[in-house]
Amino acid sequence: MRKDLVFGMAGSGGDGIVSAGDSLLQAAAAEGYHGVMTKSFGSQIRGGESSCRVRISTTPILNPGGNLDVAVALNWEDFLKFGAELPVAGTTVVIYEAATGIKETEIPLVGVTPLQVIAVPIAAMAKETAGTERAKNTVVLGLIAGWFGIGAVAVMKGIRKKLAKKGEELVEANQRAFDAGRAFAMEHPLKASMNVAASETKGQVKLITDGNDMCGAAAIFAGCQFFGGYPITPSTEIMQFFTDHVWKYGGAVLQAEDEIAGIGAAVGASFAGKKAMTATSGPGLSLKSEMMGLATIAELPLVIVDVQRGGPSTGLPTKTEQSDLFAAAFSAHGDVIRPVLAPTSVADTFRITIEAFNIAEHYQTPVIVLSDQEIASRKETLDPIDTSQFKIIDRLRPAAADLVDYKRFKQTENHISPISHPGMLGGTYLASGIEHVESGAPTNSGNVHQRMNDKRTKKFDPLKDRKDLFEVTGNPDAPIAMVAWGSVAGVCREALAMAQAEGLNVKLLVPYLLYPVAENVYNDYFASVQKGLVIEQTHLAQTFKLLRMHLDLPKGVTSLARSGANPFLPGEIVAALHRLLSELQRSHEGNLQPQE
Amino acid sequence: MSATCEFQAKDYKSDLKPIWCPGCGDFSVVQGIYRALAAIGRPPHEIAFVSGIGCSSRIPGYTTAYGFNSVHGRSLPIAQGIKLANPDLLVLAAGGDGDGFSIGGGHIAHLIRRNIDITYIVMDNQIYGLTKGQLSPTSQKGRVTCTSRYGSMENPVNPLLYVLAYGAGFVAQASPTDLAGMAATIEEAIRYPGFAFVNIQSPCVTYGEEAQQIKGLKAISESLKELGHNPEDRLAAMDLAQHYGEKLHLGVFYKNPEPQPTYDALVRERQALLSKDALPKERILDLFIKK
Repeated sequence: MRKDLVFGMAGSGGDGIVSAGDSLLQAAAAEGYHGVMTKSFGSQIRGGESSCRVRISTTPILNPGGNLDVAVALNWEDFLKFGAELPVAGTTVVIYEAATGIKETEIPLVGVTPLQVIAVPIAAMAKETAGTERAKNTVVLGLIAGWFGIGAVAVMKGIRKKLAKKGEELVEANQRAFDAGRAFAMEHPLKASMNVAASETKGQVKLITDGNDMCGAAAIFAGCQFFGGYPITPSTEIMQFFTDHVWKYGGAVLQAEDEIAGIGAAVGASFAGKKAMTATSGPGLSLKSEMMGLATIAELPLVIVDVQRGGPSTGLPTKTEQSDLFAAAFSAHGDVIRPVLAPTSVADTFRITIEAFNIAEHYQTPVIVLSDQEIASRKETLDPIDTSQFKIIDRLRPAAADLVDYKRFKQTENHISPISHPGMLGGTYLASGIEHVESGAPTNSGNVHQRMNDKRTKKFDPLKDRKDLFEVTGNPDAPIAMVAWGSVAGVCREALAMAQAEGLNVKLLVPYLLYPVAENVYNDYFASVQKGLVIEQTHLAQTFKLLRMHLDLPKGVTSLARSGANPFLPGEIVAALHRLLSELQRSHEGNLQPQE
Repeated sequence: MSATCEFQAKDYKSDLKPIWCPGCGDFSVVQGIYRALAAIGRPPHEIAFVSGIGCSSRIPGYTTAYGFNSVHGRSLPIAQGIKLANPDLLVLAAGGDGDGFSIGGGHIAHLIRRNIDITYIVMDNQIYGLTKGQLSPTSQKGRVTCTSRYGSMENPVNPLLYVLAYGAGFVAQASPTDLAGMAATIEEAIRYPGFAFVNIQSPCVTYGEEAQQIKGLKAISESLKELGHNPEDRLAAMDLAQHYGEKLHLGVFYKNPEPQPTYDALVRERQALLSKDALPKERILDLFIKK
């Protein structure tokens, strides 16, 4: 019995591929499995080709997985468009639409002989059993239940619930399509069984959600009462979550006229004393950067979520990338430190979003959450999260004594000044983008500017000691090391486990705080390191360069970077680690050579 | 809203000394605002006053209130965030013609259609004064400035028609030529329940044209009341507004006799309606349980 299966399916928009993935994930969760589902579309966003990957496992999952175990192609043209996102290997069972007319020996996959190739008359079976080809996806779910033992009961239970409102007739049609798929699988058994073992956590409650919804829920949990934003793929669902829920908590959401107005309204709401946020993707982050400068100098708490996609400009709007790192860290005009945090999974998006609000409130600053398309739109099954473990921080309000001759930007020991808000008697002040003295009154003084820049940057010093915003796994003294963040961190966690199982002495640092760069944390981490990789989905190796700006990396630490959309696979990272190991061994041999 | 107490105009004057040029029309505008606020009687800490960038955008600094001198063209987005976050506040926004109708011109339409209860005061002087005399969106065609040495080739924006066309519920014009009238107009705008717009012809003594100084403005000014204009007649208001630039009509062009519900009021209604559906925050993740 297998512990883990990776499915990849592709078809045209309207084939219901993503809906099938959803059903499969929910059925797997109902059967107690852990699951991750990622979706990928052509750049049209609506229409065009669509695909999904579903990984199902008996143990917690760190990433969407590498090569497919099962590939489903409703047509080859669309399947091939996803290239490296749906990698087929010699271990893959390929299932495809027989109506494509392509022989099993002639499928258009170059350079690989799959484990088994099966043509199935999927459309014909749908038409015959349900009276419409629209049931193709249900036939596929039946095939999966039959061949891999997932969702035999739960899939139809889910579909039944989903279609209940649409009438019994439709439910029955889907049941027939599902049964036909399952029967086909039973009649054509695989050469070697690929059934997944039963889950140990069967019967336990599981949550299913994606990174964007998780971000919205975390924000409301953290006390966010205002969202201002503008639709942009792949972040829009965060705003949608707010429009569904924030009213219930006395808050408001504004779909603004543009990106600037969205963040402007959030700045206003924060000035008015409420926790506020906006969310966007790369192009929107550029538009918002002037307002972020304003929030920095006016010392207003604000959370900005940037769900990264391939850039620049429209770039690859539906694919993941990490290339907004520089934009997030350095988009400001002027001398600015603006904290940048990054979640690595749907689950930790909850914690990191709460941290972002806590840091924004405590330090009275805009904070950027750098999510990415993969985390934002992938669905994960999660074990319930104990929310009582999270502390919520609110901004420092003035005490009665502070309100006597109130100074909004008063210099204090930790550089943080009590902040009043409209409605508070005695707290009136002028917030401004212009440099100001402690009272808030405008100034042109270079000396005041120097002092205020000190205040606005030194206040972040304690943040760099927050070791809990970094995760080190593996042997802490290992000579071989990896650094990875965001969705790439999940791949590296799995690579670490694989490499350790192969006997490599290796470790992994995952920073949740990307900026300001915590020099001490990295210096401690690299102290034992002779060879290492900074692994990232950017073309210019932005993370590697950001680290080199702030610290002296050991000579053996190099960059493994490439543009987005082509995901890293755990196996290739392990291969790269092996290369580092041989280099390390060779250099030691070199050291043993006697001098001439 | 807290109980109205007695306030005088001077209670709204801040400790900052204005650094406008002597004779600037904005001195009168800030006086008009003090008087209007005193007549309304809301305490300074319940007032939020937002501006953009420009000479006139310094005005919140000269007013005792929660002021916000923000970035160029963005007073309205920030003001609406304040109002939605706390609808109890009296929210004013102000700025110049460049701030409002050029860099920030895209925002006005949307505040109007949302009908957020904010009063927006534009100090219109047909020039960029802070940056020393460039062409502005309300500069007359043919006007010579330091960025139009051979004369402007563009038609000016008509601020009054602009906001009337988008459906603003309250549209008025004022000028330092009649300070009492200006104060009364601003007061009426603030009292209007919804988005209210006041265009104030506020001369720039340094870069403004001769005809746009107080004397010139007086020569072309006419009181809408004395003209017998009915402020409930939107089409008549649009007709009069066409004379922007030639005549200076003072007073209320349009005041919707049946004000629409404000966006901030609708937000409150929605909050009240849905609050009973709230899961306790600590259980918000229950939303993601698939049964």
